[in-house]
Amino acid sequence: MYQYTEFDRQFVRARAAQFRDQLDRNLAGELGDDEFRPLRLQNGWYIQRHAPMLRVAIPYGELASRQLRQLARMAKELDRDFLHFTTRQNAQFNWIPIEKSADAMDLLADVDMHGIQTSGNCIRNITSDVLAGIAPDEIVDPRPYCELLRQWSTLQPEFAFLPRKFKIAVSGSLEDRAAIAWHDIGLQLLKNEAGEIGFKVLVGGGMGRTPVIGSVATEFLPWNQILVYIEAVVRVYNRFGRRDNAYKARIKILVKAEGQKFFDQVDAEYRKILADDVGGTAHIIPQAEFDRVAAFFTRPDKVRPAIGGFDPNRTGAAPVPFLRWLDRNVHAHQIEGYRAVTLSLKRPGLPPGDVTSAQMEAAATMSDRYSLGELRVSHDQNLLLPWVREADLRAVWHAATEAGFATPNIGLLTDMIACPGGDLCALANARSLPIAAAITEQFDDLDALLDLGDIDLHISGCMNSCGHHHTGHIGILGIDKDGAEWYQVSVAGSDGSTLSGAAVPAKVIGPSFAAEEVPGVIQALIETYREQRAANERFVDTARRIGIAPFRKATDLVRRETAVAA
Amino acid sequence: MKFIHRATDSWLLLPDSEIAGPGPHRLLTLVQWEAVRDAWPANVPVGVLLPNTTDVESLAADLPRIALVALEFPKWVDGRAYSQAHILRARLRYAGEIRATGEVLVDMMPLLQRSGFDAVVLREGERQSSAERALTFFPAGHYQGDVLQPKPLFAREVA
Repeated sequence: MYQYTEFDRQFVRARAAQFRDQLDRNLAGELGDDEFRPLRLQNGWYIQRHAPMLRVAIPYGELASRQLRQLARMAKELDRDFLHFTTRQNAQFNWIPIEKSADAMDLLADVDMHGIQTSGNCIRNITSDVLAGIAPDEIVDPRPYCELLRQWSTLQPEFAFLPRKFKIAVSGSLEDRAAIAWHDIGLQLLKNEAGEIGFKVLVGGGMGRTPVIGSVATEFLPWNQILVYIEAVVRVYNRFGRRDNAYKARIKILVKAEGQKFFDQVDAEYRKILADDVGGTAHIIPQAEFDRVAAFFTRPDKVRPAIGGFDPNRTGAAPVPFLRWLDRNVHAHQIEGYRAVTLSLKRPGLPPGDVTSAQMEAAATMSDRYSLGELRVSHDQNLLLPWVREADLRAVWHAATEAGFATPNIGLLTDMIACPGGDLCALANARSLPIAAAITEQFDDLDALLDLGDIDLHISGCMNSCGHHHTGHIGILGIDKDGAEWYQVSVAGSDGSTLSGAAVPAKVIGPSFAAEEVPGVIQALIETYREQRAANERFVDTARRIGIAPFRKATDLVRRETAVAA
Repeated sequence: MKFIHRATDSWLLLPDSEIAGPGPHRLLTLVQWEAVRDAWPANVPVGVLLPNTTDVESLAADLPRIALVALEFPKWVDGRAYSQAHILRARLRYAGEIRATGEVLVDMMPLLQRSGFDAVVLREGERQSSAERALTFFPAGHYQGDVLQPKPLFAREVA
C-alpha cells in the first residue's frame, strides 16, 4: 500500500497547523462560527446532534494496522470507545470535543492520516474497489490512479468552493464494486484493442433527492490525461453549476439540464487547457511518475503463491460454521493460495459499521498476523483482510469468531448498510439504527438468511442518502412528517454490480410507514419473495420481474398506524 | 499579496448611472465598460469590476487596455471567481492586477493567491495580520500546479 513520503508527511502536519490556527481564532472570537464552519468541514469536522463528529479520510479504503491502532487509541482516549465506518470507506468519531479537535488532527498526522476534504463542497476523498489489487477479475489495479487523483485533488485551490460536494470513484475490474455510476465522476479503467490503458469516464451520477445514473462523457481517455480531463469537468461545473438551490447544485442537475451542451463544454475546456494554458500539459502524468507511484502498490515481497489448492476438509470434516464462513466471508484472490477475508461489522448488539476499540485492536492484530499489516474498508461498511494465506484460514476464522467478526452474513439481508441516522446525525430526519437493530434481531436465523440469499438492504436517515437507500434491493429512507419519524420503502435498486444488474434507483412501493411497522414490512417483502420466486431466483430479480404491486399489497396488510393514510 | 485599503485606494468606482469618460484610475462596471470600450483610448489604463458570472475569455481582446480586473465574491463560499482568475492568468496571460472584492475573508488567502489574485480588499473587520499568516502554512508547496507554480509536484521533482 501507499507509504507517505516526507512531502506527504510535512503536508499533513502543515494542514493540522493551519487548522489549529483557525480553531484558535474561532475560540478567541475572531473567526465567527458561520465562517469557521466550511473550514472545519473541509477538515472533517461536523457539529452534530450531541457533539462534533470527525470524519477521517481513508484514501480508497486502504488502512494499515498501525493506523487502525491509532484510531483505537483515539476512540478510547478522546471518544466513547467506538468508531463508525462509512459507505465512502471513511471512519467517523462522534464524541470528540471541538476544543480537542486540533489535538485529534495531530494524533492522526502521527500515523499519516487526516480529515482533509472528507466534507464540504469540494472534491471528496476518492473511493475505489475494496478488492483493488487483489481481485481475480481485475483489468488494471486502480490504486496508483487513485493515489495520483488524491494528490491532485488535495487542496486544489480553484475547486475548494464548488456549488456542492464532488465525489469520484474508480474501478479497475470487470465487476463494479465501487458503484461508479452513482458518483459525480465514475472512472472505469480498461484496455483498448491495442492494450493501452485508459478510462471510461462517467459524469453526473448521484443519489440524494434526485437519483441519477452517470452519463458516459468519454468511452476511452488515455490514462495519462486524467488529471486534465477532470480539471475540465470540474471547471465547467464550478462555473455553471447552480448555486441558488442546494438541492439542485450537484453536477448531475447541470448534466441533466444541459445535456450534450455540457459535454461539448467539457470537451472544449479540455482542449483549451492542453492547447493554451500555462501548466496545462504539465498535468499530463509522465510514465516515470506513474511508475514511482505504482511501485507502492506492487505485490508485497512476502506474498508467495502456493499451489495445491485448498480443502477445508483435508484433516477431517470441517465444522459447519467454518464452511459457512468460508462460503460467505471469504473471497477469491488474484494470487493462488491466497484469499481475501471480510471481517463482518454486521452483528446483533452493534450498529452496522461500528467497531469498539478492543475490536479495532483485534483487527489490527489479525492484520499483522495474517494479512501483512494491511486492511481495507469496504463501501458496505465492513473491514477486509486482503492477504490471507489459505493455510491460515482456519486460524483467521477462530480469531474472527473471538473478536466478533465472524458472522457469516456477507451479502445477506443482515449485511445491511446504514448511516448513523438521527441518533447521532444533525441532518437526519429519522433514526436508522433502531430500524437496523430491529431487522437484525428479527432475522437472526442463519439458515433462513442463507435460504433468502443475496439481498442488499440499505437504510438512510434522510435524503442525503449516506445509507445508499436508492441502490438497495430493499431501500429504507427516513423522512420527517410533522416532527414524527416515517419510513419510505423501495425495492429493486442496484449499485451496478453484476449481481444487482445495471445501476438503477429503487422504486418506492407506497406511502411511508411508521417506525413500528418497518420490521413487519420487511417481513412482508421477504414473504412475498418467498412465495413468488422462481428456482434460484434472487430477491432483486424477482422484484424486477413481478414489479412493485405484489409488494405493495403485502405491505399494506402490515399497516396499523398508517392504515388510514394508506 | 497586496492589501488594498479603501481609504487610500486610487481606483475610483463610479455609480452605475454615471457616464464614465476616459480618465486615470477609473474602475468601471462591466456594463459601463461595454458602453465605452470602443471609444476608450489605448493609452489610458482602465479597471473593470466583473460579476462572477462573466466569461472572462470574452474580454480577451480588451485585456491590453485593462490594468485592473476586480473580481467579486458575493459570498465567500461562492468559488466561481477562482476559475475566472485562473483563466485570466493561465489562459489569457493577463499580467495586470487581479483584485478580490466583496466578501473576502482571511482564510481565502491561499486559494486566492494560488488562483492568480495579487490584491485583496478584505471585508470590514478582517485582520490583515491573520491574512498574512494564512499565507505561510505550506512553505513546501502543494501537490498540484497552480498559477504561481504551474508545475505539479511530480514535474518539479522529476525535472
